[in-house]
Amino acid sequence: MKSLLNFFNSVKLAIFLLIIITLVSMLGSLIPQHRSLDEYVARYGQFAHLLNQLQLTKLYQSLWFIALLCLFALNIIVCTLTRLSPKLRKALHPKLEMESKEITVLKIKGEFKKNIGLDTAKKELKKELRSRHYRLKEVERENKTFLLARKKILGWFGADVVHIGILIILAGGIISGAGGFRKDLTFKERDIRGIPGAEFKLRLDKFETEYYPNGSVKDWKSTLTVIENEKPILSKVIEVNHPLSYKGFVFYQSSYAWNWTNTSVGIWVRKRKDPSFLRKIDVTVGKKVRLESENIHISVLHFIPDFVINERNEVTSRSLQPNNPAAFIEGWEGDEKIMSGWVFSKFPDFARIHSEKETDLSFELKNFKADQLSVIQAAKDPGVNFIWVGCTFLMIGLALAFYWPTREIKVILEESQGKTEVIAGGIASKSREALQSEFEKIMTSLRRLR
Amino acid sequence: MNESTLFLATFILYVISAFYYFSFLFSKRANLAKIGFSFAFVGLFIHTIALVLRTFESGHAPFTNMYESLSFFAWSSILAYIIIELKYKIKRAGPYFMLIVIALMALASSPLMPKEATPLVPALQSYWLWLHVSVTLLGEAFFAVAFITSIMYLVADSKKGKGIKSGLSAEKLDSVSYKCIAIGFPLFTLGALVFGMIWAYYAWGRFWSWDPKETWSLITWFVFALYLHTRIVMGWKGRRSAYVAIIGFLAALFTYFGVNYLLAGLHSYV
Repeated sequence: MKSLLNFFNSVKLAIFLLIIITLVSMLGSLIPQHRSLDEYVARYGQFAHLLNQLQLTKLYQSLWFIALLCLFALNIIVCTLTRLSPKLRKALHPKLEMESKEITVLKIKGEFKKNIGLDTAKKELKKELRSRHYRLKEVERENKTFLLARKKILGWFGADVVHIGILIILAGGIISGAGGFRKDLTFKERDIRGIPGAEFKLRLDKFETEYYPNGSVKDWKSTLTVIENEKPILSKVIEVNHPLSYKGFVFYQSSYAWNWTNTSVGIWVRKRKDPSFLRKIDVTVGKKVRLESENIHISVLHFIPDFVINERNEVTSRSLQPNNPAAFIEGWEGDEKIMSGWVFSKFPDFARIHSEKETDLSFELKNFKADQLSVIQAAKDPGVNFIWVGCTFLMIGLALAFYWPTREIKVILEESQGKTEVIAGGIASKSREALQSEFEKIMTSLRRLR
Repeated sequence: MNESTLFLATFILYVISAFYYFSFLFSKRANLAKIGFSFAFVGLFIHTIALVLRTFESGHAPFTNMYESLSFFAWSSILAYIIIELKYKIKRAGPYFMLIVIALMALASSPLMPKEATPLVPALQSYWLWLHVSVTLLGEAFFAVAFITSIMYLVADSKKGKGIKSGLSAEKLDSVSYKCIAIGFPLFTLGALVFGMIWAYYAWGRFWSWDPKETWSLITWFVFALYLHTRIVMGWKGRRSAYVAIIGFLAALFTYFGVNYLLAGLHSYV
């Protein structure tokens, strides 16, 4: 038990673990995480299965990585606790009596003897120290007075506060990983959806995409309403960076998708021999419209957002994004089909229209209209408050450790034969030069006493 | 006056500053270093105006693409150097440090970096953009100063071994490196990790995703944590400390550039 405690109490172990965790994290950043086995086989060949078995493909969630972090946490806990209690004792109940040689070994020190009373010297000394915000403790023994002046004592605990912060963050991470939940929900406008594990439902009232003048997306905005017991409770417009929080759940504007079930397309029809001829028609997929002043009907049979021909020579959509929109159109003269074929919005010259009958009509797919779906991420993260508390500790601790240097001044005043001997020394946890100059000033003011 | 003219003016001022600093190094005339410092200072001033103009021209924080962030990093580096120089008088580090700044400015002006301001993608429309990026890069700027003083330490230390005295003592360089890291580490922790986690939570819905950029900023943080622990608890000083500080800055550089070009992830902006 004791040896185990010593094992975890070592800074060497901490440094070893820091190096190991650093190297392992590097490894994890080089291997893409959470991909499909096929992807790993394509990338690493026969090593793919080995990577999988060693959990290197989900390294940061793997048992051994978490075990490593727990070991590190244990190391920090033991190191912090064993160092904390002597430090607390020193801060709260310091030893006041001391030998003069304990002072004379210090790097900042001074001593002199002067023809003044001990009380006069002590009074001046205390005044000087207090004006510099030192807190004083003193004890008298026979003809000696021991004085301990300290300030910014919290600086001693900076590193401990940092370590406690890190432990809280690690705990938060574990709680998030174990108890957190995250799910993407796809909403049409006016959809109402239940949230797993919640007693309320969510309704999407409105979804809009805003664009910059150059056509790139400026923002997605979803108006969400929380519905509890069939009653609307609150509504909020969420956008990226501005989620909705309700009863421990947070709803994020995660992305958007297209609903291609009810698409309508805009088609421009021209005649090759008559440049003045132009008809713009809007037609819903599956419907037929008449071409104005012509005895021709146009129908759109299919709309494909991301047209591609696969290896089996079939037309299919590579994705649900409108990367290569295409429409399959037919032209009818009465009951007779006179033409059919694909038109592409990005490749107007590539239209493949097979005419069964002589015609000089040409078609362009100009635009399309489809509903956009809002993808909302519902998340519950019970660890997140630990993270914020931990971060606060971390930053306060760092500020204390680096910018709140503890200063101590120890003084022994001894009266003998009407003279007072002053032996004083100072200890600074950082910026010794600053304490040195402060110390000199205090000593000078004592020497000036008459 | 537009931003690109001011950027060019700044670049020229930094080059002149480096020229004077190097003349100081070879002639040992201290007033040349003073002139170099003045040019760097004026450069910083013009650079500040350039960044403010950029902010007004683009309507957002001046660090949303590689060109902007390199320019901002150069600005933070000069700021960090001026602070350290005023406080600890390390003018001999000036010439070498100006080389880093010139490299950053040259990289920013290279034709590979698109310079036009583009509108912000939805994920970047947040005031956390200001806090997260500026504080992180300022922290890394202090790591850059520590990087230079650590390399100079290694050189001074090996010279000392041969009995040659160098302009800045090895002890001083070692202590200045530590002081830079004492400033840079809290800034980096706050900007990269704390502000980064807060922003990630609001933008992506999770405070930590083990995205390569996040992982590498944690790795950078670990290296500097290692620097502090080996130094404060185990009493490492000198050569070994200098090596850790150098590795730390290289890790920060990899987080900044390498991750973008070599590893794919969520952090696809800069």
